[in-house]
Amino acid sequence: MRLNRRLRWAAIPVAVATAIVLAGCTAQELNGYLPGFIQGEPPVTNHTERISALWVTSWIVLFGVGLIAWGLMLWAVAVYRRRRGQTGMPVQLRYNMPIEVFFTIVPLLLIIGFYFFTARDEAVIEQRFDKPDEVIQVYGKQWAWDFNYVNENVYSSGIQVQPDLSPNAEQGAVDQASIPTLYLPVGKQVEIQLNSRDVIHSFWVVDFLYKKDVIPGRTNIMSLIPEREGTYMGKCAELCGEFHSMMLFKVKVVSQAEYDAYTQSLADKGFSGQLDSNYNRNQNLPGVVAPQAATK
Amino acid sequence: MSTTLSPTPVVSNADKPQTVGVTRPVKRGNIVVRWMTSTDHKIVGHLYIITSLVYFLIAGVMALLIRAQLWAPGMQVLQTKEQYNQMFTMHGTIMLLLVATPLFAGLANELIPLQIGSPDVAFPRLNMLSYWMYLFGSIITVGGFLTPQGSASFGWFAYTPLSSQTFSPGLGSNMWVFGLALGGFATILGAVNFITTIITMRAPGMTMFRMSIFTWNILVTSILVILVFPILAAALFALGSDRVFGSHVFDAATGGALLWQHMFWFFGHPEVYILALPFFGVVSEIIPVFSRKPIFGYKTLVYATIAIGALSMTVWAHHMYVTGAVLLPFFALLTMLIAVPTGVKIFNWIGTMFRGSVTFETPMLFALGFVFNFIFGGLTGVILASPPLDFHLSDNYFIVAHFHYVVVGALIFGLFGGLYFWWPKWTGKMMNERLGQIHFWLFFIGFHATFLIQHWLGVVGMPRRYATYLPEDGFTWMNQLSTVGAFIMAISLVPWIINVYITWRFAPKVTVNDPWGSGRSLEWATACPAPRHNFTSIPRIRSESPAFDLNHPELAPTSIGGPRPTKTIVAKGA
Repeated sequence: MRLNRRLRWAAIPVAVATAIVLAGCTAQELNGYLPGFIQGEPPVTNHTERISALWVTSWIVLFGVGLIAWGLMLWAVAVYRRRRGQTGMPVQLRYNMPIEVFFTIVPLLLIIGFYFFTARDEAVIEQRFDKPDEVIQVYGKQWAWDFNYVNENVYSSGIQVQPDLSPNAEQGAVDQASIPTLYLPVGKQVEIQLNSRDVIHSFWVVDFLYKKDVIPGRTNIMSLIPEREGTYMGKCAELCGEFHSMMLFKVKVVSQAEYDAYTQSLADKGFSGQLDSNYNRNQNLPGVVAPQAATK
Repeated sequence: MSTTLSPTPVVSNADKPQTVGVTRPVKRGNIVVRWMTSTDHKIVGHLYIITSLVYFLIAGVMALLIRAQLWAPGMQVLQTKEQYNQMFTMHGTIMLLLVATPLFAGLANELIPLQIGSPDVAFPRLNMLSYWMYLFGSIITVGGFLTPQGSASFGWFAYTPLSSQTFSPGLGSNMWVFGLALGGFATILGAVNFITTIITMRAPGMTMFRMSIFTWNILVTSILVILVFPILAAALFALGSDRVFGSHVFDAATGGALLWQHMFWFFGHPEVYILALPFFGVVSEIIPVFSRKPIFGYKTLVYATIAIGALSMTVWAHHMYVTGAVLLPFFALLTMLIAVPTGVKIFNWIGTMFRGSVTFETPMLFALGFVFNFIFGGLTGVILASPPLDFHLSDNYFIVAHFHYVVVGALIFGLFGGLYFWWPKWTGKMMNERLGQIHFWLFFIGFHATFLIQHWLGVVGMPRRYATYLPEDGFTWMNQLSTVGAFIMAISLVPWIINVYITWRFAPKVTVNDPWGSGRSLEWATACPAPRHNFTSIPRIRSESPAFDLNHPELAPTSIGGPRPTKTIVAKGA
């Protein structure tokens, strides 16, 4: 209490300083340097603000704990260092039960709080839509992606990203046109079904702050609403062989009209129908049952 | 079993040679034969530690190649991405399974009999056999580099189906699988040996709750080893059978992809605690000696170690949050709970220094570096335990930064601290302090330069195991900072190697049992290095600090227990 009273003079200046510092923060800083946030623009998907809030709050609490731990440690070594000319031994203190109980119980309470928010947010993010507006089937394959637009019954088949061979290209640059691109309509409930044709991949759209593994023999689901139009970089995030680092893709979030025009253009080019699991490389392996036999 | 108590009172005669049996002239050839045929736990320990340090340097060179390759977009030093994949696969495999795991066996061999007051381990021949199995297993694993297709390149966790014959057809991959299986048996046999030794061969008076914290940690580690290494062996043999005999254990169509992940991580998560716990023990030995106080909260530390061991068996699926195939809330809660006993350990280490009399010899610097880095590795670990955050961070450089803060920032710092600390006990020579301090500060700076930035790198979108990245990604400067740090870390090993050499050639012989002056556990009550069967006499063991009680009887706990609250520290001139 006495400490509180002595420090009360500091409350207003600290509050003012905090307010000024926070007011000067960019969207990037306020979101803990997570990618995809732009000042004054809507978040990329319906989940990213929730994730960023958990991220920032967790870091504030954890840094508090960390600063206490680091501070205690540095304080202990500074204050209780052996000074020049000292001899003998300090008191051989072996334990102090109240303190030990304290530093067991307090972290436990913090963890339970953290778990509560984690479980709440995780349940929301993993919740599937009852009737999604759009269903996209994604097939990962060494080292590109196939996209089936289920409702429109069209598909686009990706190839591995090609190096940029133009003479004045930067070292390591790639041919942007060769990157497989997935179109999503803005503001619509999208369900993305993830399948693999060969080995495990992982479907990571960086600015969505979300990834999910693409596992052969299993269909994984991502459910989200894209909320800001734009082009977002996607990457395979699970080691899948030599050209893992070239297994890139893009996600273009566009208006419904553009989306319809794009899917229509696929149909016009003859990319009608779906690239289903018949094209999986794994089904030719010994002992693997063909998809038709498995479903019927 | 414990018959080392000498019937006649023997004063410390460390300056006299302690040979038992025939004395042979010392020749180089004799030393080689003696080391190859020895069943002495100290020599087996030397062999383990020397071998794993050689592998540490080899895998360190691989790390430098990896960092050099990531200096800028495009291929820099490696010619193909396959070579890059082989580099990080073998870097991870060697560092975890051929460096850190054998170091557990090495440190345990060097110290357990000394700390519990026994003449050797329970099964000395089995002990030597374990070492040779590890050596040949590791040579087979690494020998993959000599095959035409090169070594394994599917990452150290070898996810199926990528690690199947179809997608990784090389002979080097087969050698990886079977070499690790052989090395795994070495670890299992070593663990059986340590458990038996600790349970049955303690000296009179050395009750379980008077064992050093290091011994406790080795006991818990060994129990974890015999619980999970058989799972790894089973998984590896099944994978080998798939690869060589065409069996179908890990077929994707029958859920094999996830079956492998479960088996691997059921081994793999306790494995990281198998790596970490011995070094928690090392730090728990160093800090009390240089704080001149007993370890704070001995029993809480023991229970925290047991709790960590138990919880570590239940959290394997937190490596699999993004597979969409595990019960997220369950594994999130248990993973977060590990933070509690780990935090208890950190506060106990700090409590040990509190009101102590702290000096900063090289082992203590490394121990403090350990605690400092480990706090941050623990904080990022709590973040990663939360599935909503892990969905973004999984498999990117944030994870890489997190586990390097633990395995380099904590384990390797603990390793160097332990090496400097017990060097006189193992070799009879004190290492040079000045070179040790240079080593510490270079390593500390290089370490943070390398790995702190990688947290940001991951958050802004660089996946792990990428052989290259795009110029427009904006990762270039971060990767360059990280690479510079890696080379500073490499340079920091130069003073260390010089130190080992000049200590070996020029340092004076240590003539006292306890060169640090405040050693606590039993190994400081015998000569440096210890004689063939470790003790010519054993002091009364009435606490967890028998050597300290022997040298400072006025501070020893009373027969009832509990400390004597007398402050005996005096400033000069007081």
